[in-house]
Amino acid sequence: MKTMFSSLRDGRGFDVGLVAFPMGFLFLLSGLPLLYNVVMSVQEVDMFSLGSFARPFVGLKNYATLFSQPETWPILKNTAIFVVASIAGQFLIGFGLALFFWNEFPGASWLRGLFLVSWVMPGLVVGAIWNWILSGDFGVLNYVLRSVGIISGNIFWRSDPNFALWAVIIANIWLGISFNMILLSVGLSSIPKDLYEAAELDGAGAWARFRTITLPMMRATIGAVVSLGLIFTLQQFDLFAAITSGGPNNASNVAQYWAWDLSFRQYDFAQGATISVIMIVFVMIASVIYVRSTRQEVRG
Amino acid sequence: MSETLRNRLFLAIALLLAALYLFPLYWMVVTSLKTGSAMFATPPSFWPSEPQWQTYAYVWESRAVGRYLWNSLVIALGAVVLVTALGTGCAYVLARYRNVWIDIGLFLILMLQVLPASLMVTPIFVGFSQFGLLATPRLAVILAIAAKAMPFFVVLVRSTFMSVPAELEEAGLVDGNSRVGAFLFIVLPLARNGILVSAILIFMQAFGEFVYSKSMIQAAELQPASVGLNSFMGPNTNEWNNIMAFAAMYVGPILALFVLLQRRIVSGLTSGALK
Amino acid sequence: MTAQIELSQVNKHYGAYHALKDINLTIEKGSFVALVGPSGCGKSTLLRSLAGLEKITAGRLTIAGAEMTAVPPRKRDIAMVFQSYALYPHMTVEENLIYPLRMRGVSKTNAKAKAQEVAGFTGLSGLLTRYPRQLSGGQRQRVAMGRAVIRSPKAFLFDEPLSNLDAALRVSMRKEIRALHDRLGATSVYVTHDQIEAMTMADHVVVMRDGVIEQQGAPLTLYDRPENRFVAGFIGSPAMNFIAARAVDGASIALDLPGQPVIAVDRKGAAPLAPGQAVTAGLRPEHLRIVDGESGSDHQAFTLPVRLIESTGSLTYLSLGDTGDISLVEHGREHLRPGDRLTLTIDPGLVHLFDPETGRRV
Repeated sequence: MKTMFSSLRDGRGFDVGLVAFPMGFLFLLSGLPLLYNVVMSVQEVDMFSLGSFARPFVGLKNYATLFSQPETWPILKNTAIFVVASIAGQFLIGFGLALFFWNEFPGASWLRGLFLVSWVMPGLVVGAIWNWILSGDFGVLNYVLRSVGIISGNIFWRSDPNFALWAVIIANIWLGISFNMILLSVGLSSIPKDLYEAAELDGAGAWARFRTITLPMMRATIGAVVSLGLIFTLQQFDLFAAITSGGPNNASNVAQYWAWDLSFRQYDFAQGATISVIMIVFVMIASVIYVRSTRQEVRG
Repeated sequence: MSETLRNRLFLAIALLLAALYLFPLYWMVVTSLKTGSAMFATPPSFWPSEPQWQTYAYVWESRAVGRYLWNSLVIALGAVVLVTALGTGCAYVLARYRNVWIDIGLFLILMLQVLPASLMVTPIFVGFSQFGLLATPRLAVILAIAAKAMPFFVVLVRSTFMSVPAELEEAGLVDGNSRVGAFLFIVLPLARNGILVSAILIFMQAFGEFVYSKSMIQAAELQPASVGLNSFMGPNTNEWNNIMAFAAMYVGPILALFVLLQRRIVSGLTSGALK
Repeated sequence: MTAQIELSQVNKHYGAYHALKDINLTIEKGSFVALVGPSGCGKSTLLRSLAGLEKITAGRLTIAGAEMTAVPPRKRDIAMVFQSYALYPHMTVEENLIYPLRMRGVSKTNAKAKAQEVAGFTGLSGLLTRYPRQLSGGQRQRVAMGRAVIRSPKAFLFDEPLSNLDAALRVSMRKEIRALHDRLGATSVYVTHDQIEAMTMADHVVVMRDGVIEQQGAPLTLYDRPENRFVAGFIGSPAMNFIAARAVDGASIALDLPGQPVIAVDRKGAAPLAPGQAVTAGLRPEHLRIVDGESGSDHQAFTLPVRLIESTGSLTYLSLGDTGDISLVEHGREHLRPGDRLTLTIDPGLVHLFDPETGRRV
């Protein structure tokens, strides 16, 4: 007992104690649910068996059912479009802004920091604002597009099946630009200035310098930013809840919203768990890529 | 082109870009101050000619905004306290040592950081209901948010601890501290700022949390503002001025906190994500 | 209060890496001991083991006769000055100084009085309310020293305390630390990679390499009678010249230089050399003397071409030989040009001989 106490004060016991509680907490509230998810995906779960652990085992039946449903493939396709379009938009605009703010001028860093405000806003608030901006008859975006002559009639962003998914993508790009920009700015500022001076002396023009120095030096950062974008995009839920609720008729539904919808609107917890398991595997692959691309930094 | 002219040009473009980017926020405020008819006018006016401040009082009363915000505050504070209490020591140990076990721990933490809440909510909800935790729904949400947010907090705070030289802690040990004493009196005070910023970031996330609250809290009087705002927005609503007033009241405290601590929040965020 | 420290058969492993190998060392009460060696030799690990910041894997450590092997740092009553000084940045100079006393339950009033006293003789009197970031490098160094001396510990440990200072300050702090030691008479262990610091400050120098003590003794003993080629090369600046040679008879050797010159050696009672025995001759640059003219008649002399001349004004450094790898130091200036030929001689008593295989002194 005495040695245990002195180990807690002076030795390894202190470190072990500090790690044991949070790790135990995370195991209980993240690790176990993760396993439970897999368990539920191979069980038959209904309102009656919800309260018991001993539910009938059905093997991979839930997975088979899932992929036999007509909406599954369109929703997975939506998810892919949502992810690719969001990341491309966030990254390109974010990189452009980062390059612009890389020019040193008074107020640059303060103004750049202002963009991050979107990151701290509640997702529901962002969704509500964009819902209103994208409104069909009275939305300000339609008004602006009409005024500059891009469109002639109003687009019904939220209710037109051709545009509903893009409504959420636009809002998600707006949300993600700031984070992309800030991280890419950090990467840009870590490139030594004398490399550019050397390249200029060697006769490289602006475009050549961008292509031969900026892009190669930014490879790790770009990898990290894109995989983080993938992770965040797959986490995006609030915008769907606030703008389209996955409608109309699943036209803007994506896997992460669908999983919730199955469980909490249709009370089909087994199907919800099944799609969750599939998506979590995807997210984990993305995070492995992220960890690998920042490996040096992570190891400090 | 002279230096000042160039600077002014860049500044002007930057201001324009920032204004463009922040337009949605502006539009929220402008809409909230419009009358019901001005809101649906074509062309829309970009300046509230007769600001309707009473909308705020009306929404505050009729939609019980105070109660919603209070619940958001309770949930966010609960999550922050839990995350800070548990995560700080974990971050310290992960920062202090270099070995295989630490690498494994870090990897697990990073993995847990990326699990989407909307995918984890199904097993957490079912598990919580089986253990009777849904009887105290706000506590259930606090636990779920803490589990989701702690990995992010640990990653952020770990980089703070790494910037505290190990020699300071060793000096504390030689000067007569126990490990506990050196941690409490030397290391923690030096990491205070980083911990504070990370806690604020967690607070902001928890304050805006939606999925867990929406799924686990059925009683309206216990729901946070995110759920309140969601139920305000029916599919065919035309109360957009009221909704925007609700949103403005909800986001106001967070914006104030952000403007106040902008520099620190930005540096805290960037250090955690890439380092 | 001050104490003797004893280490017996101390070993330290980091996983597969063997950092300290069977260290046996007695640090006499009140002495100033320097641990010196190239980086990675284990000197810092040894110091940190004394402090209790590293756990030794095997062996025994006693301080004032008490077993300390598994005792945490705070119960060892040892003070340490770190390379970075490790001043607590969130505390003023006074708070830094009284911290070790407060940790030991000394009342605030008594601790502050003691801080005044220490500040007096470390030259910090006017600086007590400042924060470490507001101090110069030398002042920070003094605070670190003050924090160590304030509680009269059993021993002081110094971990390369001068390496962050500029050259001039380093020389003056060297004297200050030694003066402080003489004044307090406390056992001190001082780690450095700079052999000049070790030679000038310490009573007893311990030379380490690869976790092993190569030689220990009084500074001049190490200089005059290095036990092996490593110590011979490490102590002294510029480093000793090593020239392959072969014994001619019991008391003279032929150097492996053009013309195979023969020089006499003084065995000082050591066993005579066997004729034909291969040895490495060690000649200190400052012991080589230039003699006038090509006096080939002198049996002791040998002739080498000059490659490079570097003069500091007071000293002249010459690089000699076909490859320029034999160095020589002369006081004053030499009017020489590259290509000139110099005739050199050395006192037989100053020639060191080492076994070419083992590196041990023969």
